[in-house]
Amino acid sequence: MSAPVADMTTANRAGRVGLRGIVKRHGALTVLHGVDLDIEPGEFFALLGPSGSGKTTTLRILAGLEPLSGGRVMLDGDDVTEREPGERDVAMVFQSYALYPHMSVYDNIAFPLRMVATAPTDVDRAVREAATLVHIDHLLARRPGQLSGGQQQRVALARAIVRKPRLFLLDEPLSNLDAKLRLETRVELRKLQRALGVTTVYVTHDQEEAMTIADRVAVFIEGRIVQVGKPQEIFAKPASAIVAGFIGNPPMNLLPAEVRAGSLRVGGVDLRLNRALGADGPVTLGVRPAALRIAPTGLPARVYLLEELGDTTIIDLDVAGQIVKLRTDQPPHVREGDNVHVAFASCHLFERESGARRDE
Amino acid sequence: MRTVLLVALAALLLAVWAFPVLWALLTSFKTERDVLAYPPTVLFEPTLRNYRDVMFGSASLLPNLLSSTIVAGVSTLLTLLFAVPAAYALARLDLPAKRASGFYVLATQMLPPVGLIIPYYLVLQKVGGLDTYGGLIAIYLTFSLPFAIWLMVSYFEDIPREMEEAALLDRAGRLRALWYVILPQVRGGIAVTTIFVFLNAWNEFLFAVVLGGNRVRPVTVAMFNYISVEQTLWAKLAAGAMLAMAPVIVLGLLAQRHIVKGLTVGAVKGGGR
Repeated sequence: MSAPVADMTTANRAGRVGLRGIVKRHGALTVLHGVDLDIEPGEFFALLGPSGSGKTTTLRILAGLEPLSGGRVMLDGDDVTEREPGERDVAMVFQSYALYPHMSVYDNIAFPLRMVATAPTDVDRAVREAATLVHIDHLLARRPGQLSGGQQQRVALARAIVRKPRLFLLDEPLSNLDAKLRLETRVELRKLQRALGVTTVYVTHDQEEAMTIADRVAVFIEGRIVQVGKPQEIFAKPASAIVAGFIGNPPMNLLPAEVRAGSLRVGGVDLRLNRALGADGPVTLGVRPAALRIAPTGLPARVYLLEELGDTTIIDLDVAGQIVKLRTDQPPHVREGDNVHVAFASCHLFERESGARRDE
Repeated sequence: MRTVLLVALAALLLAVWAFPVLWALLTSFKTERDVLAYPPTVLFEPTLRNYRDVMFGSASLLPNLLSSTIVAGVSTLLTLLFAVPAAYALARLDLPAKRASGFYVLATQMLPPVGLIIPYYLVLQKVGGLDTYGGLIAIYLTFSLPFAIWLMVSYFEDIPREMEEAALLDRAGRLRALWYVILPQVRGGIAVTTIFVFLNAWNEFLFAVVLGGNRVRPVTVAMFNYISVEQTLWAKLAAGAMLAMAPVIVLGLLAQRHIVKGLTVGAVKGGGR
């Protein structure tokens, strides 16, 4: 098991990715507004964003499947913008897997090798090696139509890793699996990527998936990258209110507030916080659900709904007419309809207009 | 009860279709005299004389069967050769005027053939194409090619684009992606198209009789000789018809599996596979 892994890594080239001012237009519609991105060799990099944010388009541009309206694509220092998909030494796993239905699993995995005239014995060895890595070596004689969704997904993975490319592109590879299998495969995918050491770009709209699997994450909103960083950094210091409202489960609570003479006015209550507030003016207050707690003083709130999740409870609170979520792992001592107060241990401030973060 | 009715209806329809063929089959084994007997005889002494005459007699149909084979075979081959790549391009590539050309392709099918026969005659006469294989085949292509393209486009469109994108990333290039990944998946469509195009060319009469002649004389035209002003040789005509049908039936049986699959393909997504 360890031998083939070592063998797989040695053949790789570095896999450094650079996107320079990528613009993509569909007629009058601009899908990507100048995307810049650098991905380090060996990184597991996630492109995260809601649907229609341009993350899949970015991946397809990397693959060479989508012509671009402006910008350059760099791989290991070479400008590959004009190169055909097959000349970029990248492998992709499609959301639909795109397995060749008329070929056996073996032939599917062997296809990319046969296309560059590999000796049959080498093909055979590489196919079996790749199949073993993703645990489908017993299915080689089957057709894709005779496999379960999870098995098909593994065949697609094997077809990608068999050729030892310098870059893996994964387009929502787990979205067609059921919840349990998705969690298992997520872990396996991460381990496989570590073992192979191949730079991997992973598209997902599931922020939890991106946060758990990736070394670094780029958050896409409406055709722009709004933040790039390690999952922890993005979680701890979201660059804008939009990112803050997208990351976390449940995501951060965002409330309109106002900085006035050193205090923060929220829902008609002036709060004194032990942090810098910045200049006076309208802001958006962001509080993580886990940072909120029921307290004797603070913002007045009414308990709207209790969501018991077993080990934790989400309390939906009505604060000045807006629903705010509080997460606690303590048994809640409140009931729906109770009037309470909430306080928070830490908070984030964003400009009301631009959404930009106000640092402490 | 419903089933009984359905079966009865199917049997009735089948009888309507099968009766002329079966009657012609019977007729082909009768003497000309038995053919004209009234009321028609069902029990008679069968004879192979008609087949002997039709195949080896003075007006043997064998050269005409060869003629038909050349015309239908070559025009089918050429049609597929051009229609498959053309349909692929129409289905996949973002060509300018793609919609317009697609409609043009279909529009050619709306012309009644009779309306074209005089222009075609004049054109062929000008270029010396009357009574030549090249001439008749070229004319057949003007009909079969649009039809075949139009039919094949729907098969190509059923294949997800990601299929060839995967092949492109697997370093196949566009041509090998087409050959190894796409074409095997439209085999059914190619079989259906082959049958339709071949059948149309094989059974074509109007153009063959006007644009053909002594050298190029397909079996449909030659059989017509059995109908003359003085008499109609029904038994020989029937025997000739049976001979002309045989190759097509064999071809149909060979491709039957694909045809049944192929006819349902556009109807239900993924039904062809």
